Amino acid sequence: MAESVRVLPDEIQKMIDVKEWDMRTREGIQRFTSLKARSLPSVALDGDLVYEALIPRQEELCDEIRHRYHAD
Amino acid sequence: MVSDKEAVRFVYQTKEVCPPEIHFQIREERLEDIRFVGGGCPGNAQLASRLLKGKLLNEAIEVLQNIPCRNNTSCPDQLAQALLAAGKGELGPAQSFRVHTDGTPMNRIALIGDMDGQVDHLKNLVREIHEKGADAICCVGNLTGNSAGNKELIRLVQKEKMLAVQGELDWRYAEGKEHEDFPALGQKERDALIRLPQILSFRLGMKRGMAFFGQYLQEFPGISDFDPFVLEMNMVCRLSDFLQNEAVFPALKAMTPQFDARIVIFGEMRKWGHWRIGDADFISLGPAHTDKEGIAWGLLEDSAKGIHFEVLKTEE
Repeated sequence: MAESVRVLPDEIQKMIDVKEWDMRTREGIQRFTSLKARSLPSVALDGDLVYEALIPRQEELCDEIRHRYHAD
Repeated sequence: MVSDKEAVRFVYQTKEVCPPEIHFQIREERLEDIRFVGGGCPGNAQLASRLLKGKLLNEAIEVLQNIPCRNNTSCPDQLAQALLAAGKGELGPAQSFRVHTDGTPMNRIALIGDMDGQVDHLKNLVREIHEKGADAICCVGNLTGNSAGNKELIRLVQKEKMLAVQGELDWRYAEGKEHEDFPALGQKERDALIRLPQILSFRLGMKRGMAFFGQYLQEFPGISDFDPFVLEMNMVCRLSDFLQNEAVFPALKAMTPQFDARIVIFGEMRKWGHWRIGDADFISLGPAHTDKEGIAWGLLEDSAKGIHFEVLKTEE
């Protein structure tokens, strides 16, 4: 999942900071439960759980980020 | 300052670098067994570990410090921070779990949960289990409780050569931290409790299993998320709330392929249960004695159809 975020176009990368949590760790589990996530992989944007149990297509993820951050 | 002749193991939680932890040992001011765990460049990490093996701490810190890679730090720089913290006593030695590995392949295992010091109940259970037949008797709940029978029960466990895993109350007794209302226990019995494994690794048929009591192990200082069987414990205790939170079962299923064990047994819930999630079996052990239902124990079997678990009751 993190890889699909890393390969987003530069214009999107400039809009976001990416943080990946490792579900093997207590910190990762803490983050997962605080988001009320249920499945893996999960993607949250600004603390909102947006994708669960799927890797979105790149265009879909870009659109979602643009939509949220009002980029043209 | 660390100066023991025995190697002392440390686990350092890194900041801003790929591997979340660095594990290392110090013996007489010299570095041993360095591992960058959970991420990063494995080849470079191995090289650094080989080059630094046997180096004095001060020499190692000198070559490691202030190397930037990302976020103004790096794996070497983080190791330097770890060594400085260990040297100043700010980073304490990691406390490892006592793991007992029973390599004997078994087909039928009798499982006993909380005994609470009720030695007469354990005698009845042992008699019943011997009649039914089992390759081993495994106690995963608290042996001890607020009972005058604690001492005799510990001796019975030893005499019968049961596989016993330390429960939280047993650990408190062993550490001299039991509740003040609990009956006194001699040093010999406390020593027996402190020597109990906190994790039991066993084989049932072709599958590897592990048994542990519960949450108290996760509070030990310096525990690494990457130690053997800690993933299983994290998933049971933290992710799924001892399998009570069904909403996260899809995530649990996704994690089971990374488990060391395919059978995970725990005792803290004091509630009988069996869940098959992904390719792992999770088993919660209830207390041996309940007011209404006699004395309960579990029988775990390897069969042609896979793992079979049932709860059995015996007369008081």
